[in-house]
Amino acid sequence: MTKTHIQTAIRMTRRRALGLVALPFIGMAPSKAEAKPLRIVCLDDGLAETLLMLGVNPVAIAGRDVWENWVVEPPLPPEIADVGTLLEPNLELLQQLAPDIILAMPYLDSIKALLERVAPVTTIGLYTEAGQPYQRAVEATRQLARLVGKEREGEALIAATDAYFSEVRQKLAPLSARPIYVVSFMDPRNVRVYGKKSLFQEVFDRIGLRNAWTGETNYWGFSTVGIDGLATSSDARLAYLEPLPEGAGGTLTESPVWNAMPFVRNRSIMRLPAVLMFGALPSATRFARVLAKAMTGEAARG
Amino acid sequence: MAEDGAALARDGKLAGRTWPRGTFGNQPVGAILLCAVLSAAAAAATVSNLTVQLPSALWLQSLTAPDIEDMRQVLVHYAFLPRLAVSLLCGAALGLAGTVLQQVLRNPLASPETVGVSAGAHLALALATLLAPSLLAFGREWVALAGAFVAISAVFALSWHKGLSPLSVVLAGLIVSLYAGAIGAALIVLQHEWLASLFIWGAGSLGQQDWTTTLWLLPRIGAAAVAIGLMVRPLTLLGLDDEGARSLGVPLGVYRFAGLAASVALTAFVVAAVGVIGFVGLAAASLARIGGARRLSQRLVMAPLIGASLLWAADQAVQLATGPQGDLLPTGAITALLGAPLLLWLLPRLALGLEVPALTAERLPRIGRPGLVLAAIGLSLLLLLELALLYGPGPHGWTIAFGDQLQPLLAWRWPRVSAAFAAGAMLALAGLMMQRLTGNPMASPEVLGISAGAALGMMVALFALSDAGRPAQTAAATVGAFAALLVTLAIGRRAAYAPERLLLAGVALTALFDALILVLTATGDPRAVKLLNWLTGSTYGIDADAALLTGAIAIVLSLLAPLFLRWLEMLPLGSSAVQALGIDVPKTRLLVLLMVAALTAASTLIVGPLTFIGLMAPHLARRLGLARALPQAAGAVLAGALIMVAADWIGRTVIFPLQIPAGLVATLIGGPVLMWLLRRR
Repeated sequence: MTKTHIQTAIRMTRRRALGLVALPFIGMAPSKAEAKPLRIVCLDDGLAETLLMLGVNPVAIAGRDVWENWVVEPPLPPEIADVGTLLEPNLELLQQLAPDIILAMPYLDSIKALLERVAPVTTIGLYTEAGQPYQRAVEATRQLARLVGKEREGEALIAATDAYFSEVRQKLAPLSARPIYVVSFMDPRNVRVYGKKSLFQEVFDRIGLRNAWTGETNYWGFSTVGIDGLATSSDARLAYLEPLPEGAGGTLTESPVWNAMPFVRNRSIMRLPAVLMFGALPSATRFARVLAKAMTGEAARG
Repeated sequence: MAEDGAALARDGKLAGRTWPRGTFGNQPVGAILLCAVLSAAAAAATVSNLTVQLPSALWLQSLTAPDIEDMRQVLVHYAFLPRLAVSLLCGAALGLAGTVLQQVLRNPLASPETVGVSAGAHLALALATLLAPSLLAFGREWVALAGAFVAISAVFALSWHKGLSPLSVVLAGLIVSLYAGAIGAALIVLQHEWLASLFIWGAGSLGQQDWTTTLWLLPRIGAAAVAIGLMVRPLTLLGLDDEGARSLGVPLGVYRFAGLAASVALTAFVVAAVGVIGFVGLAAASLARIGGARRLSQRLVMAPLIGASLLWAADQAVQLATGPQGDLLPTGAITALLGAPLLLWLLPRLALGLEVPALTAERLPRIGRPGLVLAAIGLSLLLLLELALLYGPGPHGWTIAFGDQLQPLLAWRWPRVSAAFAAGAMLALAGLMMQRLTGNPMASPEVLGISAGAALGMMVALFALSDAGRPAQTAAATVGAFAALLVTLAIGRRAAYAPERLLLAGVALTALFDALILVLTATGDPRAVKLLNWLTGSTYGIDADAALLTGAIAIVLSLLAPLFLRWLEMLPLGSSAVQALGIDVPKTRLLVLLMVAALTAASTLIVGPLTFIGLMAPHLARRLGLARALPQAAGAVLAGALIMVAADWIGRTVIFPLQIPAGLVATLIGGPVLMWLLRRR
């Protein structure tokens, strides 16, 4: 057993070394990368959606069902394999998929050593203690574009995102006076409310809206509070994201506490389709789009 | 204290005799006093909680006609007050259910939590929510009731031939609860979605949004209470022995069933409304009894009052700690945390009748050539190892690994397989030693709470040390296992190691540990997710180093084992006889205990605290005819390894690419086996 182990270790080290040496070249020589596409396993949905927008399919991601419920678009091509859950991706399957590189996030540092035995791991942190996920998403887009030799597409994606935000900013300017809460329901009584360090806050800043939640948040950019914790701002609107957990549907129609909330009494609530709250540029664009649609729809009705 | 204990013991056994202490003019003074103290504390906390939310001038208005423009009043009227009402209602219902259960089962340890009713109702709701939400449309209470009845039927089936004796019922109840809990954990692990919160089914949060739950509970609990009220006289007679009651012309069976149905219904309503509120039923019913409520009619009044004030106080204390309306710390989990120590404290103080150790060796086969049996088990183990290492699903379906594929796949598989092998073997050895040491056929590290102790030690290491490596974790787990072992044995010694009492102490320790995990998970600490993953016994993160370390520990301890086994075989001769042979009994006993602790700790780190392998494997070996200590040990070790390797392989392959933790698979296999063993007794 020991012998096997040592042999494996040697083999892994050699492969890892090769991978590390190859990495900078891939960035510098796009033509070569196009000739033989990199086999990428992507263990962060934010990075995966960016790759898809760059026109590159990863070989596998973790949790296709999660994508369908929480990310929605861009749609996931059927040939992309599913390696299981994010915290315990199936290592044997990973091995057999023979990726050239694994993209991970700092959240997965505890299994990084295991992943490195399969292929070199590049950890890209969109969400960290320092916040600024938008800036980080821009940097990550450039990094990924270099990796797959699609720098032009990368810059185009960044520029298109900025341009879209300016467009939305203009459209929403007449509606931007009132602050907005953005929440996900955890159960019928508790919500995650997004604030500082969240992707949604950064989108707000760029499309000229004010977040009604100014309290503390964790490094993912949210805080878990009871719905009554949202009562402090009296003229705020509220946008809540799908999917709703079991039983939360009832809250929204029956509960007197809910019905007494200022935004419910003003009829200023908006239901948004799912947007990945821990995503990158594509999710930011999607959030701006669904929010603008809901707000203008609301304005048209009211 | 000792005298109180003795008095209580008399009461537990002989309800209806004169009560020498704790009463004044036949009134349950102690219970009334306790109720008053609890209510006073609860009221003070309530006033404090209310003052934070709303100036006292507005209290009356918010109660009668809240101004919906004023959010504070809305919250008090629709969140704070209904929560208070629900805490009172649920506490009273559980106290009543506990008392009636104790009466009909003639069992001073019976309660919704200890006979499996709560857990059954809870699991049924969780299953329905996930698999068949349409069932819930018929009413949550029906789903909960169905689950509760299935659970209590299972408990009765398991303890029937022991004449539903108090300890056997409670033991079966707690094991059914643990098993239901394991299935629940499997559901959480499989459904876990990192984007959603870690969803804890019915952790017993009392938070409310309106008066719906209160109004839902009120008529249901009321109807059950009235039904019980109409049965006071026949239920009182049920406390007598069967002949006495029958001679008075009471149709025993009918009333026993009616009483049982009423208390099961009460529990199901509470679980359907707020989830599991741990141990309030047991606490209320027992405290009423200890407080001098002697007659059933007194207990039927005092237990609900104590239950209500207890839950009221607990819930207000939780709100005091987490801020008003805070339901991120579920009250039901906190009460469970307090309940397990109560159970441990009660245990030695109750007379529960004589229990006869069963599973006696005489009835089992004995074979002349143990070598043959061992070779057969060994051969199957070899075959299984081959399967586990070579055969499995991949991107193109099930394949046998060979050629180029072999090497990289083996690199992933061998550490997991060998760790599972070592863990199974060590648990089996620990179980065998415990069974021989205590002379108790139901002893094992999992059932005696030693595994829970190891897990607790590991948890402390995880939280106290910023970076606990595997050696540090192993050491902490060993200390925890040893401490739990000492606690269990101290409790057991009082009862001269009476099998079921010992088990009950262990199961109570395990329940305490479960409650602690629940509270931790509920607080949303990110380490809790990892802890849960590890507790379910995932071999995922086992690398070559960890596998080699575990393997080395297993080999060293297994080689030491024969030294102790000889002694363990002599033990049934009596300690004085062993002493006469020149063996230092206390010292050897201590060494054996240390060894059990080390075996348990090293294996618990790999496969989690609840696999039942330590219990199963020695019995399997015994049933195959291996009677003497050494062959039985060898057989148990092989069988334990076999089961665990199989569990790991199943867990890795059945829902590929998803994985079920090996420990969980072993629990799901081991639970029914354990129940079957119980049933045969």
